[in-house]
Amino acid sequence: MRVEDITPHDAPATRAPGATRAARALRVGVGGPVGTGKSSLIAALCRGLSGELELGVVTNDIYTTEDARFLREQGVLPVGRIEAVQTGCCPHTAIRDDISMNLLAVEELERAEGPLDIVFVESGGDNLTACFSPALADTQIFVLDCAGGDDVPRKGGPGVARSDLLVINKVDLAPYVGADVALMLSDAADRRAGRPTLALSLRDRVSIEALCGWVRRILASWQDGTLVSADPGPPAPHGHSHPAEPAASGHRSG
Amino acid sequence: MLELLLADGRTPSGGYAHSGGLEAALAAGLAAGDIPGFARARLHTLGRCQAALAALAAGCRTLEGLLELDREAVARVPVAGLRAADRRLGLGLLRTGRTLWPVDELLGAYAAESLLTPRAVALGVVVRAGGMEPRQAARLALYEDAAGVAAAAVKLTALDSARASAWVADLAAEIEELAEEACAVVLETLPSPSVALLDRRAELHLASPGRLFAS
Repeated sequence: MRVEDITPHDAPATRAPGATRAARALRVGVGGPVGTGKSSLIAALCRGLSGELELGVVTNDIYTTEDARFLREQGVLPVGRIEAVQTGCCPHTAIRDDISMNLLAVEELERAEGPLDIVFVESGGDNLTACFSPALADTQIFVLDCAGGDDVPRKGGPGVARSDLLVINKVDLAPYVGADVALMLSDAADRRAGRPTLALSLRDRVSIEALCGWVRRILASWQDGTLVSADPGPPAPHGHSHPAEPAASGHRSG
Repeated sequence: MLELLLADGRTPSGGYAHSGGLEAALAAGLAAGDIPGFARARLHTLGRCQAALAALAAGCRTLEGLLELDREAVARVPVAGLRAADRRLGLGLLRTGRTLWPVDELLGAYAAESLLTPRAVALGVVVRAGGMEPRQAARLALYEDAAGVAAAAVKLTALDSARASAWVADLAAEIEELAEEACAVVLETLPSPSVALLDRRAELHLASPGRLFAS
């Protein structure tokens, strides 16, 4: 599937009970392993969208407020629009098991700076099993990069298999690190059952525009009440098939 | 059972991001072997006050009374960063409490009106909403304080997590005793522990790069 053709897919509704559509900002979770470019991707989104939309960012940092500082120094948003949450060694806990600190940060950001159209919530860099609670993120982007190894999409995990958008970042580095982008995209496609994957380079304006376009379409569907996000849920099973396993186990992704 | 639920670290309230000043204390030279003593010292100073606040809040039936306790609690925390952390923990706990007991009127009113929301007062409000007694609120406040230090110790030092649990277990009798004492406190006798070293370290910690815990 091309990114241009992306529409929200059919999946069980996981919206938090009581959440009023468009009465608050769309919350976009951005997750993925350490060093794949989550902060830079959010900076690029802010640069691309801040002319037309009111944006805020909540970062989750393992150490102090490094990511928030990076974003503030990029000058992509007024400093008050960027809020940092500290996670005390538990980046996964803060976005999935106990989201209270992140929800408070999002709500305080909206109260102080709102009304906002979108709040991006950046997870602390974690492993392949980390994904957002559907009570925190309305939709989620999972970020991998070429430099981290072109076998990562094949390894799978909830973010790879069932995030609403999978980004393969730093494709401009592929020739230098011996990564096969086409293989990464086809492995991702095998795992994602039709969900979109985007090859991104922050030096390629066309790919950044495709990313911004995806976010615009998700926002439009959020605002008209048709957005349905799949909860990535538990880690996907490993890749080789078990003939005895029922086909419709609900967890199998690729 | 509800007391166990509120004591359980798996019940969301944001506590995992805090070390009760342990990270700053270790950075300032506290030896790993002195961590049980550190936890105990907290119980007898800050813990005593937190337990009394929680018990008073659990026994309070008016919003005005709770907001008065808010002010008393906040007046005892001179470090702005610690007040902010305490408030975030209080709000996190209220959020869970409101999901557990959505029809409790006083809990709803407190959540709507409290601006300061220190954790101990929020805990007392939630405990009462769950039909529990002030003594349980005091015990929970003390247990959470000690267990929070022990959980952080596992992440900050080379320590078998079972040993950390044993440290908390060793404090059981003292926690029961302090909880009992806390129930006898009235507003006029609310303790004002001076923990200047913890406060000073907390300020340095909040300004230090590379810390793991928010407080």
